[in-house]
Amino acid sequence: MEHKPVNLESFHNIGTSTDWVVMLLYFFIVIAFGSYFGRYNRSTKDFFFGGRRFSWWLIAFSIVATGVGSHSFIKYSAKGFEHGFSSTMTYINDWFFVPFFLFGWLPIIIYTKIRSIPEYFERRFTPSARFLATVLLMLYMVGYIGIGFLTLGKAAMPLLPEQFTLFGTTYDITLMGVIIVIAVITGFYITFGGQTAVIFTDLLQGFILLFAGFFLFFLGVSYVGGWDIFWNLLPTSWKLPLADFNQPNSFNFVGIFWQDGVAGSIGFLFMNMGLIMRFMATKNVDEGRKAATFNILFMLPLSAIVVGNAGWIGKAISVAEPNVVPPNTNPDEIFVVVASLVALPGVFGFIMASLTAALMSTVDTLINATSAIYINDIYRPIKKFLKSDDSDKKKTDKRELTAARISSIAITILGVLSVLAFQSFPTVYEAHGFFHSTLTPPLVVAIFLGLFWRKYTASGVITTFVGGVAFMILGLHDPIVISPFDHGIMMDPNHPYSYIRALYNMLVCFGVAVLITYSTDYQRKVVAKIKALSNGRTIMYGVIFLTIVFFLMVTFNVGSVPVQFILITLIVIFTALSVHFFIKYDDQANTEGLTVWSVQKAKEYFKGSKVNEEEGEVIKVHWKLKEGDDEETVNFSVNDMKKMKANVGDLVYISDARKYLGGLKSVHVTFGEPHNEDGIVYITNEEKLNGQFIDGRILTAEKEM
Amino acid sequence: MPSFTHTWLPYIYLYGLGGIFFISGMLLVKKAGAIDLTKKRHRYWYRVLIFGFFYFMILHAVWILAAMYL
Repeated sequence: MEHKPVNLESFHNIGTSTDWVVMLLYFFIVIAFGSYFGRYNRSTKDFFFGGRRFSWWLIAFSIVATGVGSHSFIKYSAKGFEHGFSSTMTYINDWFFVPFFLFGWLPIIIYTKIRSIPEYFERRFTPSARFLATVLLMLYMVGYIGIGFLTLGKAAMPLLPEQFTLFGTTYDITLMGVIIVIAVITGFYITFGGQTAVIFTDLLQGFILLFAGFFLFFLGVSYVGGWDIFWNLLPTSWKLPLADFNQPNSFNFVGIFWQDGVAGSIGFLFMNMGLIMRFMATKNVDEGRKAATFNILFMLPLSAIVVGNAGWIGKAISVAEPNVVPPNTNPDEIFVVVASLVALPGVFGFIMASLTAALMSTVDTLINATSAIYINDIYRPIKKFLKSDDSDKKKTDKRELTAARISSIAITILGVLSVLAFQSFPTVYEAHGFFHSTLTPPLVVAIFLGLFWRKYTASGVITTFVGGVAFMILGLHDPIVISPFDHGIMMDPNHPYSYIRALYNMLVCFGVAVLITYSTDYQRKVVAKIKALSNGRTIMYGVIFLTIVFFLMVTFNVGSVPVQFILITLIVIFTALSVHFFIKYDDQANTEGLTVWSVQKAKEYFKGSKVNEEEGEVIKVHWKLKEGDDEETVNFSVNDMKKMKANVGDLVYISDARKYLGGLKSVHVTFGEPHNEDGIVYITNEEKLNGQFIDGRILTAEKEM
Repeated sequence: MPSFTHTWLPYIYLYGLGGIFFISGMLLVKKAGAIDLTKKRHRYWYRVLIFGFFYFMILHAVWILAAMYL
């Protein structure tokens, strides 16, 4: 291993050939594992959502790899090395919004059978809101993928030589070069595997990741001489769980509270399509609640230790042996440096493989989710617009599956390109913080208000997207407008207000939303007067033209701050009026079953009839095939239906009785007319194939609603 | 000894403001009827939600005390 004198210089060639063999072997096993479960995809529904069939524990553990990967061991080890245990802050501040999620967003997305967040905007507001939400969400997801690639690249760089020679020519190994190679590998199994493959690969990796992280912690503490020595080596300020209130500007409590605790938590729970699709893959809402709760209460705090401990160990070693780990080691490299120092050859390879593979899982999940958005919110609406023939459902499904796979490749490429935007930040943590502060607020505010505020209208949401974003752009050009909200944080002129800008961005979006919604009646009166004019439509086209011109002026920073403020005010007013003029919005139809105030209606929509809330037993049955019956129903005996307290037309979940399968072999169906053979369920061949049921295996059945 | 701005001020801000968000959420889902306390399962979840808030609040408090005095 070659250690250079460390003055924030890069390390190279860390690791031995044994480590590389272990890493390659690990990746091969993971890809083979994912490909095996890829065969469980029979439709785009399976490809994206895993068929809504899994138990909570399977999803809870599969989320570990996604959560840990997305929050990344590189950046938290870096902050752990710089600031100590407060690197755990962002993993232990998500609970405040859990009530909103468990009893608001989760039942709504599942019961309304929405396949993507933009689709919610169409049903709750209007297709135009869906279009704008798609644009913002795609930017968010692609940026997130970019952050993932940047982290992966930074993790791999210290392992590689500075140069390599091929056919007599010497090539420099660059960060972007490494990222491109990683992207090719990452794109492989998502393209051919789908959501089921991702869930099972993540499940495997979740376990391995926790083991590897704690093993590293154990090795590190042993290396420094035991827990007491480790604890006493750390300065008191390093042991505190929360950062200093408002300093330094690169890592302070209040900025990170608003960026991560508020915008990040809502973003993580409400608009991270990768995570939402996991919850949608659970067999019912209650299992989704269990998965989310278990994850936030137990897995996230454990994950905080897994991802940050290398930094804490690094700090302790730097205090005891500064010649081994110099205090000025590049923070983004501390994880690799510490892991290589405390682990034997081969073990180091295993730790690196498990952690980078977990990060790849995050990226895969995000690519899969972005691909789902593409199919649902771009591909299908375009097909619908072109009136393409989709009468043959199987053919359409096959076409969509192909389109999903191709889009996965395109999204991977866009993700790699987006790395260019984040490279200039000193650490991955700051790049991610800035990204989160900037891209989440409009969608966070729009989803939140759409879900919890019945009065929030189509003009409100579109103006939030347009006017809110214009105000945010003003904050990007002139950070002085953020200073009233800075809580005393000193502004870094190179990267001004990376975290606290989330507060400003959310406030401006929220302010626009509330202002426009409360002035709805006044806007309607103005629009009614314009409509009464013979040239009303021409006037409104002029208003839209001016709105676009003003928005471009703000985007390209034309004019002083007061001038831009006036322009944005006009943008807000003009956008609201235009929406009222051109778009129909029904206060009743656009809210029923789509807000937290009408969850019961959403449940009825899901079932297609009145909900049967009686709690019945879970029963065990043998299955037999129906002959010559095309109906999508299953038939239980009269007595079995009584035990389940089920009626004809109710929904039932049938699963292979082996609990350790976590619902992999299961299906959702409807109760048909009963028979008299107790302990037997008659199913169709299609249901047998969808459930992947095996001859002779006992099934469990439970009434859903 | 670390200053108040590094110990208890972030804690008060986190659970003060976070607590306002949390209580708002609890009241909102209850008022909207999304959580129905006449149902046994919903009562269970209501208790879990309250437990979670105090679980993290106590965890952070103990951690700060341990950092300062152990």
